[in-house]
Amino acid sequence: MLIEIRNLTKQFRKGEETIKPLDDVTLDIDRGEFVSLMGPSGTGKSTLLNQIAGIDRPDSGTITVAGTEITSLSRSRLARWRAENVGYIFQTHNLIPVLTAYENVELPLLLLPFDRAERRRRVQIALEAVDLVDRASHYPRQLSGGQEQRVGIARAIVADPTVVVADEPTGDLDTATSNQILDLLQRLNRDLGTTLLMVTHDEQAAEIAGRKLRLNDGRILEAEHSLEPAGSQADRK
Amino acid sequence: MLKFLPYILKTLWRHRARTLLTFSGAAVSLFVFCFVVSLQEGLDRLTSQSDSTLVVFQANKFCPATSHLQQDYDQVIRKLPGVSEVVPIQVFTNNCRASLDVVVFYGVPPQKLRAVRDFELTSGSWAEFENNQDAGIVGQAVARRRNLKPGHRFSIGEVTVTVAGIFTSENKAEENYIYTHLEFLQRTPGLNLVGTVTQHEVVLESTADPSRVAEQIDERFRGGPIQTDTRTKGTFQAASLADLVELIGLTHYLGYACLGLMAVLILTTNFMSVQDRIREHAVLQTMGFSGSLVFLLIMTESVLLSFAGGATGILAAVAVLANAGIAVSAEAVSLALTPSFPLAAIGVGLSIAIGVLAGMLPALAAARTEIVPALRAA
Repeated sequence: MLIEIRNLTKQFRKGEETIKPLDDVTLDIDRGEFVSLMGPSGTGKSTLLNQIAGIDRPDSGTITVAGTEITSLSRSRLARWRAENVGYIFQTHNLIPVLTAYENVELPLLLLPFDRAERRRRVQIALEAVDLVDRASHYPRQLSGGQEQRVGIARAIVADPTVVVADEPTGDLDTATSNQILDLLQRLNRDLGTTLLMVTHDEQAAEIAGRKLRLNDGRILEAEHSLEPAGSQADRK
Repeated sequence: MLKFLPYILKTLWRHRARTLLTFSGAAVSLFVFCFVVSLQEGLDRLTSQSDSTLVVFQANKFCPATSHLQQDYDQVIRKLPGVSEVVPIQVFTNNCRASLDVVVFYGVPPQKLRAVRDFELTSGSWAEFENNQDAGIVGQAVARRRNLKPGHRFSIGEVTVTVAGIFTSENKAEENYIYTHLEFLQRTPGLNLVGTVTQHEVVLESTADPSRVAEQIDERFRGGPIQTDTRTKGTFQAASLADLVELIGLTHYLGYACLGLMAVLILTTNFMSVQDRIREHAVLQTMGFSGSLVFLLIMTESVLLSFAGGATGILAAVAVLANAGIAVSAEAVSLALTPSFPLAAIGVGLSIAIGVLAGMLPALAAARTEIVPALRAA
């Protein structure tokens, strides 16, 4: 199992009220799976995604990715782990405006022990994968929304991470562009075997994933099965 | 860190108006600071001059125009134990008060000049000076200010000299003086000073005790027609510049204020830059940039900005100080403002230190940013 989540709980205080976006979540994700995560707004989809990406910490429970229990890593070791293992696709692209498409894609590689030639080779491959080689020297302001998102995807996959997480990757795009992006994600999963976890509001987008999960009241339900808690299915296995 | 340099430089260039304004502020601050330090260095050079030279002045007189000693005092002083050489000097200046453009003539016996001064002629000749009574050799700083060259005739009041040479000296203050024949200056129309001099410069033997010899000189002429006041050259010059010394002490604070202003300016720029990029730093950390790396990126931006601005200000100050020949004079003593390696090194060191100090808080704030709330920031 690539990702093992056990009894994950996260809660916030909002005034007098305590909100629990994740309530004792248990979930397993296999290597090479494409998992979509759906649910109403504020149900903790992004919170779960951020826990798996190692950019947020739970109040209790553990997450183990490829044998590393990331919930026990220090802040600096967790940053190192993210550099080596996580590709993050944002809803709003979040490209660095002063860098070209090429430089944006190269940025995560600067944290890894690759020489310039190896970086160039990897960026080239990533840009080819998203069909943007001819836009390598363009700045984000010179790209369309769809192209920006493809650069964001190239940046997420360039270091060949263990897992790629996408937080509503089509949320800011029109239908035609959304379909292109979803096709691209599907190809990455199918052709490169990338493990993908995608948060989406869009039922149609969720359909392309091999496995659909739904979050409700802080607990995960397997959508394609009988909406039973996912942990109970894992337990049965 | 070099791998991230393009990102750092492009980030600075992104808000180029802000960057250029901060850069200019840093440059102006260091420019002013260098002038203040140069003033202090010039004063230190004057007042710390070797104790082995004494200046004998008329007692209770402060302006060279009012000090009139007998020229033949030199014969008496020469016989005192510990005295190696005595040079009678007539001083003439166009302005006794503090000013930036004072012309000071020092009339000395021409045959003695080279023995007591380390001048090197950059143009003209010693023979021309020694063989012509109205000849003068001109310090490089005065020559530059007044655009003088060998052969030029130059007048201040009733004194008109022919430039026989331009000299440089290890002691940059000397480059603000004009040296003429003693007798020529004494015979200046209207002065009628033959037989008297403004001061005697006494060169001591290396084993002599300066204060003992000074006491002996003043003792020798006590009760005579003209009493003397003898001090080491450094003390004499400090006394001549007494009014300026306090002022220069005050300019120190002006220099520190400039540095403080520069630190606040860079600190403000850094905070603005970090606040503008809360989300960007969160994105970098999501990619795997550690808090310490984000800290270093911002520190590098801060130091680069401070260093580049500061270095430009230092270079500009050094260029002006080296070429403008600026000197502040009072009572015919000149304080030369000159560039120096320690001055430039102090400036560069301070620029870097200010960059580090001004970068610290914004860099810490960025490094400690919680990623998820920062990603949600507008």
